[in-house]
Amino acid sequence: MARGLSREQLGITDALLATFGETVFRMSHNLQVREADPVRTLDWAEIERQREAMGLADGQIAARLGLTRGQVMFIRNFEESRRFRVGQQAYLLDLGGGKRYRPERVVRLEDRARYSEDALRLRGVFRFDAELARHYCEKGWWADDTVSGWLARHASKRPDAPAVIFSDQVITWKELEARVLRFAEGLRGAGVAAGEVVAVQLPNVPEFIVAFLAICRLGAVMTTLHMPYRGTEIQALLRHSRARVAICLAQAKDWSPPETFLTCLKTVVALGPRVDGCLAFNDLESGPPLSRDHAEPVAADPFLLLYTSGTTSAPKGVPHNYHTMLSNARLGVPEHRLGADDRILSAAPFSHLFGLYALHCAWACGASNVLLPAFTPPDLAATIEKHKPTALWTAPAHIAAVRAMGLLEKHDWSSLRLTIMSGSACPPQLVREFSGKLKACAVTQLWGMTETQGALYTRPGDPLETHCTSAGRPSPGTEVRVAEDGELQVRGCLLFPGFYDNDEANASAFTQDGWYRTGDLAAVDAGGNIAITGRVKDIINRGGVKFNPRDIEDLLDAHPKVLQSAIVPMPDAVLGEKACAFVTLRNPKQALTLEDLIDYLSDKDIARNKLPEKLVVVAEMPFTPTRKIIKGRLKIP
Amino acid sequence: MEQPAFDAVAAKQAIFEYCKKRGALAVGIANLADCERIAPPGHRPSDLFPRVKSVISLGVGGQTQGAWALPSKAMAYSGSTEVRGYKVAYGLAFHIEQKFGAPSVYVPPDLDPEGGPRVPLQSLKLHAELAGIGARSLAGDILLHAEFGFLYYASVFTELELPPDAPMAENPCPAPSCVSMYRQIGRTPCMKFCPAQCLSGEIDDQGRQKMMRYDMAACAELTQEYEAVPKMLAEAVADEVRTQGAQGLLDPDRKMLWYKVSAGSGAWFAQCFECMRVCPIATRAPQADPILRREQKKTG
Repeated sequence: MARGLSREQLGITDALLATFGETVFRMSHNLQVREADPVRTLDWAEIERQREAMGLADGQIAARLGLTRGQVMFIRNFEESRRFRVGQQAYLLDLGGGKRYRPERVVRLEDRARYSEDALRLRGVFRFDAELARHYCEKGWWADDTVSGWLARHASKRPDAPAVIFSDQVITWKELEARVLRFAEGLRGAGVAAGEVVAVQLPNVPEFIVAFLAICRLGAVMTTLHMPYRGTEIQALLRHSRARVAICLAQAKDWSPPETFLTCLKTVVALGPRVDGCLAFNDLESGPPLSRDHAEPVAADPFLLLYTSGTTSAPKGVPHNYHTMLSNARLGVPEHRLGADDRILSAAPFSHLFGLYALHCAWACGASNVLLPAFTPPDLAATIEKHKPTALWTAPAHIAAVRAMGLLEKHDWSSLRLTIMSGSACPPQLVREFSGKLKACAVTQLWGMTETQGALYTRPGDPLETHCTSAGRPSPGTEVRVAEDGELQVRGCLLFPGFYDNDEANASAFTQDGWYRTGDLAAVDAGGNIAITGRVKDIINRGGVKFNPRDIEDLLDAHPKVLQSAIVPMPDAVLGEKACAFVTLRNPKQALTLEDLIDYLSDKDIARNKLPEKLVVVAEMPFTPTRKIIKGRLKIP
Repeated sequence: MEQPAFDAVAAKQAIFEYCKKRGALAVGIANLADCERIAPPGHRPSDLFPRVKSVISLGVGGQTQGAWALPSKAMAYSGSTEVRGYKVAYGLAFHIEQKFGAPSVYVPPDLDPEGGPRVPLQSLKLHAELAGIGARSLAGDILLHAEFGFLYYASVFTELELPPDAPMAENPCPAPSCVSMYRQIGRTPCMKFCPAQCLSGEIDDQGRQKMMRYDMAACAELTQEYEAVPKMLAEAVADEVRTQGAQGLLDPDRKMLWYKVSAGSGAWFAQCFECMRVCPIATRAPQADPILRREQKKTG
């Protein structure tokens, strides 16, 4: 310290510091006050009078307080250091180029800890193989994509182009951005911060898109809840996702979504009539916009937390960041031959990955989204006829239902240039028929999972047989392999990092060398096209002979009386398992017996051990939101 | 042979010409007696240079118009042009010794090694103010010049006796536009835009400074990073703030400081310049812009 003397040599004690600290700090130059301009005017009386207010040197303070100069210097430095807040310069980082300081723009240092414990927990899942990550970046697969960035780009470059088409409403990119920024500010005011999870249960309406984009703009994470979900599922998923806020319909036909959400959350935003205890979606959207200075998310940030199955017991939360999810969409756009002039209609709900893929592809290239709030065959046909989308995202079951009602003939589907079928195994005959009806439309197949988004697809221009019999080839940046047991395994720039908060699922989900076990069975043809042949879990082990029932299901689906079929293993005391066929009928009034089916299948030259040994006719199949049959819910009587 | 009589006025003129030729915009001689009377003991010119007869102060140009448009953090690093002033003063001390045979010293602009942070050996500002090349502003007493705006100052003490100049007759601060703003919102631009809110004050009915308040401690927290080092070390030792103790010294947001320590970066004294960026005198005084100055010089 001063003059090389130690604190002890200077006689500094805690008592001395406590006694004189404040006084020394104030008498020194730390807090200066000057009246008028006495030095310039050499007003000696004022100079003397104001000396102390303008700040005294250590020696002068020492003389006033009866301390040594060394003691004053020690005390002053101690006080200044004690009070000094580190990192104040960081405030200046809040100011953009050439902008001037405004107190309202400044985030105080202590408020900069932007991520809550929950948010950090979710971010903690995003661990990728460093070598692969470098590779993805070098290849340009992982870039700087964010949905906020894409929105801003389209709003700036094509402000008046349509972004969303819904009923009689057309929302331009500029209008969409304005709505998003206003709603984002509303959400921010409601407590949504970067990294927080916001649950959304909405149909395919413009407000879903506004909410999704606003959540993303805040750097928060959206978790979607399928529309059929009710109290038990919702509560389980809110708990698991640690959602802070939910956005839902103010009212539904036979239940009250806000009531359910309010049992778990303090903040619920309701779309529709005002609901006590909820914030109104419209109110949040009618305030001022979010400041453009608000920190934007970056591609490595998580933005989606989607759930695959096991909603109540062991939820499998699939987190994605912009890298994994948007790279897949951006790279997929040219493969699907999409462009800014396209209009994409998703029959799949946006709460599902396939529906979100429609949004992501549209946003990647600036195409517009035509909205169908909820699928019914007549609504789909009418929307296509009215809004003339050029691309359709749909599940085989959607088209099967449309076909069954004869809507392909009754409506004009000629605007379609591309149809992507996904969500479940696609009967070849359905592709053939649909392609036959729509001559100018490429009817392609896509295979994906929540964990991967679009991993395989056929491309427009592929031979019809490829579309009928396979899910195509890997998307750019995707690698696939078929393991010895026939399981399809995936890795690549699109792959999620692992399940959120589910160590058990993670332990079995990946191979030792980092490939994701899809649980699907696959076969590769000479052209590199991959056919999904079933689920590992669907394999039936009849007396030690294992077989995949998928080919039998394909045959049953082509039966004139069968609308859809699903074969599941049935416990057997002798053989272990036998095949049980569940079917829905095209015409419920026409009877169908097991014998009918056996005769029909026997004509197809099928091994006898694969024949179903029980038939259950059901009114309807249990479906996932993308109309995939949930075999686990088929109960054998 | 008889020595020619020493012409103090001519010597002063020669000194001014030397300085201006080398880039000084303003030069003046401070009244030594006034300096001695105002500066506190230990910081008087005679404390540094006992046989001092004259205090020469010079100012070099501050920032360009472009620099004022930089983001604050870049301004803090784009730094100052004070080194130019120091070079002129350093050369001037030699020049006086060679030409006039009078011992002279370039006044070190450094901190007093016995005073710790924020205490300079000499107040270059006081020298400049008394020499009439700057007047105290509402922006924490930063000196401003009506013609050149914001200047950096350097001083030379010499045993050569030179006729002193008077302080400025008028203080350019506050500018009329600042007075007008003060009348409307009770604050001048520098007060309004200070990130640390370290400035406040009053303007009287005649539009002159009535009161200037400057929370230097708050300003220093924002602008003088060098103080962060002892603070961080103290925290690490006492483990007051972070639970990881000394390990916290190595976390990413602190590593930059150690880099600066090793690189000897002058940015530790970085000023944020927000008060000067919004100051109409600093940015728009008639000759504050070096390009404009050159053009005016050309056109004569």
